[in-house]
Amino acid sequence: MSFISAENIKFSYDDSEKTVLNGVSLKIEEGEFLALLGHNGCGKSTMAKTLNAMLLPTEGTVWVENMDTKDESLVFEIRRNVGLVLQNPDNQLVASVIEEDVAFGPENLGIPPEEIRERVDESLKAVDMYEYRTHAPYKLSGGQKQRVAIAGILAMRPRCIVFDEPTAMLDPNGREEVLNTIDALKKRGITIVLITHYMDEAVLADRVIVMDNGKILLEGKPREVFSNVPLLKKHSLDVPQATELAYKLMGAGLKVSKMPLNTDECVRLLEEVLG
Amino acid sequence: MIRDVALGQYIPGNGIVHRTDPRVKILLLIAFIVFIFCSFSFVSLGIVTAAVAVIILLSDVSLKLYLKSLKVIIVIVLITSLLNLFYGTGDPIFKWGFISVTMAGVYRAIFVSVRIILLILISSCLTFTTSPTDLTDAIERLMKPLKVFHIKVHEIAMMMTIALRFVPTLLEETDKIMSAQKARGADMESGGIIKKIKAMTPVLIPLFVSAFRRAYELAMAMECRCYHGGQGRTRMKTLHMKGSDCVGIIYAAVVLAGIVLGNIFFTAVI
Repeated sequence: MSFISAENIKFSYDDSEKTVLNGVSLKIEEGEFLALLGHNGCGKSTMAKTLNAMLLPTEGTVWVENMDTKDESLVFEIRRNVGLVLQNPDNQLVASVIEEDVAFGPENLGIPPEEIRERVDESLKAVDMYEYRTHAPYKLSGGQKQRVAIAGILAMRPRCIVFDEPTAMLDPNGREEVLNTIDALKKRGITIVLITHYMDEAVLADRVIVMDNGKILLEGKPREVFSNVPLLKKHSLDVPQATELAYKLMGAGLKVSKMPLNTDECVRLLEEVLG
Repeated sequence: MIRDVALGQYIPGNGIVHRTDPRVKILLLIAFIVFIFCSFSFVSLGIVTAAVAVIILLSDVSLKLYLKSLKVIIVIVLITSLLNLFYGTGDPIFKWGFISVTMAGVYRAIFVSVRIILLILISSCLTFTTSPTDLTDAIERLMKPLKVFHIKVHEIAMMMTIALRFVPTLLEETDKIMSAQKARGADMESGGIIKKIKAMTPVLIPLFVSAFRRAYELAMAMECRCYHGGQGRTRMKTLHMKGSDCVGIIYAAVVLAGIVLGNIFFTAVI
């Protein structure tokens, strides 16, 4: 059985007729890096929130390991295992001192003080914010705040972290900091689910799922998914710039053996073509 | 500029007052407030003034800051002592029309102003030397016995923590909204006070909406981190009583003894 599996999830908010999720099934293996793509309102954020029991599907079941998210007695066990990092770092920090904020999660879990200390130090070092531990959050940059928010989740020692558009409110520097942190976490063996609408972030993942209208549109390795340029365009989704350039060159009669996903690959392709 | 506003004005330091357990500091503050109001003779008042002065000198905070905190209340001190001046009974030492000043009135005025000044100094000393988080922590722990009366101690402390956390965030946001409204031609500087207050509406409404949105998101983030109230919750930083805390308590006891003796052996003037 997969680490997380969602079976035919349907979801609609109480006050609306519209179904946000329309029968989504997906499996997430332990240790993988999955990117969930889609434009605004496609249901990707809602999907993310069903993975740690923040939202319960109206139909279908989400399993985390062998725990059903509908089982109320397991809620904290599920949330401890599947952390969720949200978009706005400002609204995720609880305390006025960084190390105390990171301690918030383990404190809620009732962990003994000495171990909390250990976890806090370890988490802050993992996101490279250890030297800021006694600072106040409001003096940090957006990227630094988001890294503290990640440390706050990390201190619960989750096996999976779901990132719900973690870079949407950050400047380019902050984005890079957060993406590097995510990469480092993946190397530690933590399962990553990254929800984003930046195509070049999705390229970093092992597997990409594209959602549209509450359904899964495409699924596969980044290169497979982004090779479907016409389909993605039809659903008003972007592809990475490098891929788009290659696609246009293909349209002009150029032979492209391997779709480039990033600038380096694109440069190599052009060198090859131009001889 | 607006971001530098520090609530409670905590001044980091490493003196003995800073290192004292915040719970002990709060209790000592309460004790000293009682001492200040229970000093009835000049000797007692002198003892408590000296005791406060010693704490202030030990506090590792510049005296300028204490003077600054007094500046705010100087008017209140003047008005209350002036009123008390005419309050006393007995033989007038000065009479002009229906106004008469007695010796008792003079004493009363001195006592009242000294008391207010001491009160401000000693409470400033607490906020100067204790970080807001330590304060809320200490309040939570001190109020723990109130749980018997079904008072939600943990929730109150959590609300204080969150409020303190969001003061700078919301100040910054106010700044931004004001700039945004000014950019659209909003006039916030001219006119009388009523007009100025009215001009704040387009700032306050977005601020409130945003505060609610933040509250909603924060609640979600807290739930993601398994928050479920105070039950079964542990703390990273546990407060322990140290030697310096005992020194504080002994100090308060000595001052108390001095005041009691001062009240018994010297005539009460108030």
